Amino acid sequence: MTSLSIVGFVGLSTALLAISTFGILTRRNFILLLISIEIGMNAAILDFLYFAAFPTGSHYFDGLQGQSIAIVLIGLAATEVAVGLAIVLALNRLKGSINVAEASSLRE
Amino acid sequence: MNFWVSLDQWAFLVPLLPALAFVIIGALGERLSKLEHGGWLAVLFSAGSMVLGFLIAIGEMLGPGTYVDVRYTWFSIPPSSTGFRDGFSLVMGTLVDPISALMLIVVTLVGFVVMLYSIGYMHRDTGLPRYYAILSLFLTAMLGVVLADNLLMFFLFWELVGVCSYFLIGFYYAKPSAASAAKEAFIVTRVGDVLFLAGIFIYFAMYASADPSWAASGFLFTKGNAAFLPLGQGVNPTLLTIAGIFLLAGAAGKSAQFPLDAWLPDAMEGPTTVSALIHAATMVAAGVYLLVIGSLFLGFTSTDQLAIVAVGGFTTIWAASMACVHTDIKRVIAYSTVSQLGYMVLAVGAGFAMVGLFHLYTHAMFKALLFLAAGSVIHAVTTQDLFKMGGLRKKMRYTAFAFLAGAFALSGIPPFGGFWSKDDILSSVYSQLGTHPEYWPFYLMALATVFLTAYYIFRVYFLAFEGPSSREPGLSEHAHESPWVMRVPMLVLAGMAIVAGLLVFIPPFATLFNPTLTSPAFPVALPLNVPPSYPLVDIELSALSVALAVGGILVAWWLWGNGRLASMPRSAPARWMRETLLQRYYVKAAYDWIGGVGVYSIARASDFVDRFVIDGTVRGFERSFAGISQRMRKIQTGVVSDYAAYVITGLIAVFVIVLFVAPWLVSRLGGG
Repeated sequence: MTSLSIVGFVGLSTALLAISTFGILTRRNFILLLISIEIGMNAAILDFLYFAAFPTGSHYFDGLQGQSIAIVLIGLAATEVAVGLAIVLALNRLKGSINVAEASSLRE
Repeated sequence: MNFWVSLDQWAFLVPLLPALAFVIIGALGERLSKLEHGGWLAVLFSAGSMVLGFLIAIGEMLGPGTYVDVRYTWFSIPPSSTGFRDGFSLVMGTLVDPISALMLIVVTLVGFVVMLYSIGYMHRDTGLPRYYAILSLFLTAMLGVVLADNLLMFFLFWELVGVCSYFLIGFYYAKPSAASAAKEAFIVTRVGDVLFLAGIFIYFAMYASADPSWAASGFLFTKGNAAFLPLGQGVNPTLLTIAGIFLLAGAAGKSAQFPLDAWLPDAMEGPTTVSALIHAATMVAAGVYLLVIGSLFLGFTSTDQLAIVAVGGFTTIWAASMACVHTDIKRVIAYSTVSQLGYMVLAVGAGFAMVGLFHLYTHAMFKALLFLAAGSVIHAVTTQDLFKMGGLRKKMRYTAFAFLAGAFALSGIPPFGGFWSKDDILSSVYSQLGTHPEYWPFYLMALATVFLTAYYIFRVYFLAFEGPSSREPGLSEHAHESPWVMRVPMLVLAGMAIVAGLLVFIPPFATLFNPTLTSPAFPVALPLNVPPSYPLVDIELSALSVALAVGGILVAWWLWGNGRLASMPRSAPARWMRETLLQRYYVKAAYDWIGGVGVYSIARASDFVDRFVIDGTVRGFERSFAGISQRMRKIQTGVVSDYAAYVITGLIAVFVIVLFVAPWLVSRLGGG
């Protein structure tokens, strides 16, 4: 345990965030967009867990607080996906497609 | 005696009664068709006002020289070191003193008879509730001017009088000439009123520092039986002169004195009754009343006096000369009014305020009479052109008698009212010529005007009433005498025109011409000259002015007598002069030129600045914003990924600013 450095973990979540951002910016399929958002969300959750596992004594989310927040965030992500999937269904019924580029009627 | 003094407490009812009539007729007029659309109500309320006014005046005659000031403080401002040292209050009050008692008699009597006359004269018109309501409001305002006990209240009612005049001149508002005459009257008097207001400010500033209690008590005219102010003592004489000139400007606007005189003849577009009440007897006399008040309570310097004398003296002959050629019966009488007001201004300027007031009083009677008689003629023949009339004496005996009485009074034939007052003015001014030789030209103008006056008014009489029949066929055949509601007022005023001058020889009545102010600084200790006293020189002067008047009548008879028309040969050298007079000395043309060329080019320059500089700036901003917006709207694609990209870009920008730019700036600028 002691040989592990936090840098690799933070690097992992940074990579996840980058993948997520790339997905958000390039995908047009709503489901893939939702998945990208979830990946970004999980990058944040992982961050909380690293900092809980490597207590510095000065960080606010050291120890249990960090783990608790991670649990809350998982719940939040689930809720968000539920809402997102509801929007997907509504969009499909309205436009007959789940391409987000089609949902541009707010522009007018 | 106690009864009479307690009566003065109720003086506020005199203006309040017509105000009630205004409210009732204004609200219910259309439903009062049985009462002549409120006309009889107006008569009733003005009669009540007249009875009370006469009772107050009688009380003033019995208790001579009392100054009863009943006042109600509207609001007051406490003393302050930066503003008025002793505070400031706005007061509404009634001041019953000899001169306001005299004015009460004049205004309420003429007001009542004109209201009565209107019942007959206006019967065929529409819009009667408006007419009677505004005429009642005018009476209120005029009585407010007369009874005001302080300068601010005086100005308030003074403006109200002007508004009523505007409404009544424009009574036939559908007629373009009437609408424009109303505007002209309002705007020209406004020029005077603005200057008057400036004068009031100067008086306030001057006297409020000389005597701080003046502002605290509400700019009152009097304190007990004395003028409130130290009359020019302790103030800068230059400032006092300027304030006096401004006061003269206000009076000249209201009383149609040169050079603000052109509106009064045009004001004849209103009903004749309005001309009789407002533009002959009362409102136009308010300017003279203002000068009287100014000389009694505010103080004039000798420069002011010379200016007043000059304006008054010049106006007499200026207006009288134009009266000699015009053919509209009402316009001739209107020019005559301007000319007679000039006499009053002349007298006040020479220091004889009471003599001016004397002529105001007799003039109100005989000039209202002349207008009512002219109205009766117009009512009968439905034209105002003298050259079409003629031979009306046989058909309208009462009217002819009334007009003749007014004409004799105006010409100054003894013992008619006008003789005593006009003669009094001439001899009073003459008595000042020794110490003020600069009055000479204006005295001579006034003297020459006596001849012109007699000439033009008898020209009207001969043209309208004498001769076998009318020059336009059929006019005199269909003419008939007016109903009793029009005859009675004419007879009342004819009686007054005959005896008004004699009344001042009755001692109690003469006390109304004695202001009995105990102020030690009474401007110039001149004799009051009312009633006129006759040392030898005055009798010679009277003989001269009567001879001039008789001469005028004879010339009028020679030219126009027995209904003949005197036509000037085409080659006569005086022809250009007649044209000048008919064109009113081209003053109207000058007005039009000033309006058309002067004001219009200023307006066009302003229009240019407004449209191209101000609007251009605004429109430039608008256009550049619109252009930017047109370009900006392209980024609104509606695609959610694009918005996500903007959000992420913004987020990265915030990080860059917070983490790199801000610390760099802080280190550069050395902040905390």
